[in-house]
Amino acid sequence: MSTTMTTESGRTGTDPVEGPGAVVLDGVTKHYGEATAVREMSLSIEPGEFISLLGPSGCGKTTTLRMIAGFEQPDAGDIRVSGRSVLGVPAYRRDVNTVFQAYALFPHMSVAENVAYGLQQRRTPKAEIRERVASALDLVQMRRFADRKSTQLSGGQQQRIALARALVNRPSVLLLDEPLGALDRQLREEMQLELKLLQSRLGITFVFVTHDQGEALSMSDRIAIMRDGRIEQLADADTVYARPSSAYVAAFVGQQNFIEGALTASRDGIATAHGIVQATTARPDLPAGSVAQAAIRPEFVEVADASAAGEDAPTRPNLVRGTLIGVSHLGETMQYLVRVGDDLSVIARRPTPDAPRLAVGDEVVCSWRTESVQLFALDAAAAEAGYVEPPTN
Amino acid sequence: MRNLRFGLAVPAWTWLILFFVLPVGAVIWFSFGYKPGLFGTHANDILSFDRYAEALTPTFFDVFLNTLWVGITGTVICLLIGLPVAYWMAVKSPPSIRGLLIAIVMVPYWANFLVRTIGWQIILAPEGWFSNLLQGIGLTDAPLEILYTRSAVLLGVVYNYLPLMILPLYVAFDRVGDSLREASKDLGANRFSTFVRVTIPLARPGIIVGALLVYIPLMGDYITATVLGGAQGNMVGQLVASQFQTAQNWALGSAMAVLLILVIMASAAVIGGLLWLVALPFRNRYTVTLEEAR
Repeated sequence: MSTTMTTESGRTGTDPVEGPGAVVLDGVTKHYGEATAVREMSLSIEPGEFISLLGPSGCGKTTTLRMIAGFEQPDAGDIRVSGRSVLGVPAYRRDVNTVFQAYALFPHMSVAENVAYGLQQRRTPKAEIRERVASALDLVQMRRFADRKSTQLSGGQQQRIALARALVNRPSVLLLDEPLGALDRQLREEMQLELKLLQSRLGITFVFVTHDQGEALSMSDRIAIMRDGRIEQLADADTVYARPSSAYVAAFVGQQNFIEGALTASRDGIATAHGIVQATTARPDLPAGSVAQAAIRPEFVEVADASAAGEDAPTRPNLVRGTLIGVSHLGETMQYLVRVGDDLSVIARRPTPDAPRLAVGDEVVCSWRTESVQLFALDAAAAEAGYVEPPTN
Repeated sequence: MRNLRFGLAVPAWTWLILFFVLPVGAVIWFSFGYKPGLFGTHANDILSFDRYAEALTPTFFDVFLNTLWVGITGTVICLLIGLPVAYWMAVKSPPSIRGLLIAIVMVPYWANFLVRTIGWQIILAPEGWFSNLLQGIGLTDAPLEILYTRSAVLLGVVYNYLPLMILPLYVAFDRVGDSLREASKDLGANRFSTFVRVTIPLARPGIIVGALLVYIPLMGDYITATVLGGAQGNMVGQLVASQFQTAQNWALGSAMAVLLILVIMASAAVIGGLLWLVALPFRNRYTVTLEEAR
């Protein structure tokens, strides 16, 4: 389709897409006084892609979005939208629209007037405005609310209007700043599906900022996990979930059990106070004997009554003995909290239909397969984050 | 529960009746009376509209027009100065100094109204330091001829009433918030469009409050006019005051006061209505109704 794939912009090393709807960040840095919000961030977003910027508050994801929108100017680096640099281009002249976190609907205008606002700024003829506003409201199933004041709507309805108000302008890129954050859980899950459907139907590039990993996993083509103003890993949901590039990513996406220990000579396992934890793939990049951490997801941990385990069990790798200190029903899964020794808690999650019947106080064994183990260099902060993050699904 | 709510409102109602309804009622009542002889101030045994007829002399009419002119021009000037200042304070200034800015706006209010106005008398005097300075640097070659004119009164009222305009405007602009302005720019509106279509409409209640807070006391002001206006800058407030204090004719003074109240209410209503009419085409232009929704 685009035949002008010259190497004029070969600065990023990757092959930046330059078609309509493409967004390229090239070594972008943003400081606020002493603090650095975004550091030398590079990212190529393809036209029509649904990309999520995922990270905890303060990781720079919102600043990144605001720089693409034009509300902040980067201190260094370049931002290109649809192949053209937008440095110095004010927000009102960018072919980009935003759905704001608190919706920012104009309270003195009706729903239809809110949606028409962008078209009126472009001096669109009245008849065309009416037509496009009507179809934008149809798109979000809010047409019958056209004459209401935006203040008379519920949170979910306001969210749809904010979406229609942005989409009616047919931007090549839509920026979404935690748009589902204020909705209750059921509505949020509904809107996730709708957003994803809408995006694939319209083919508009979506840049979605969220701190909710479930949201990012369920909607995105690719997820950029951010930490301290940098991208820690950029990959699709499967890769981020199954092969996180660091302990930080492993902890942030989904839940993890972290166990610390010294890396064995073969560098494919660690020796811990509770036995060997063995992985299938080695980490030749880490020095043998160094402190590393193994990450195992709760859904890969099996839990069984200790009396049912064989006599040789304690000597097997990837098996620990402990006391069951908590059982909770999460709906589709049962969650078990097992105390191992006095410095380790292991969380196990089993599908409810075939979950073992265990009672608090039972002596149990937790085991997992070698394929479920991932080894990372020690990152205490990340391990901490993994336990703090509440289970969202 | 109903009794309790009523009970809580009693102090407010008492206050309103004692200090608003009764005095205004007395003034209206006196205005239908007359002055009984040299040493009486008012009598109401015979009621008539005669005091109103007596008040409506050509002189009084001229003073009324002058008062209206000062009132409207003064309010407009306060608005023209107050809008950019309040907007800058609430939106553009560094948030850390906003408290200080409000304090600076309020500082003149710590001094007595009369003292502040006399201060202007000193500054504007033809042989005063300001006049000498202007001549010294060659901006004028004659002494300043502004004191005891309508311009001096205008300057005085703008100075005295400007804070009453800036404070409600500041609150109004502050309440609009950054996010709506950002949303407007995101949707393709430049600064001017954003100001006209988002900031001003949302700040409208504050603008109306500020204009009324300046216009109403300004129309009744007589200190500024007395100190700075001399013979040329007469205002109705002075006529009312002189009837009560010098002529001791409470009946005529009351009739003038009632006329002033009526003129303030009528003029505010007329100006408000005119502004509404002027804004109508602008509002219609941006009204959007979908065909079937009608």
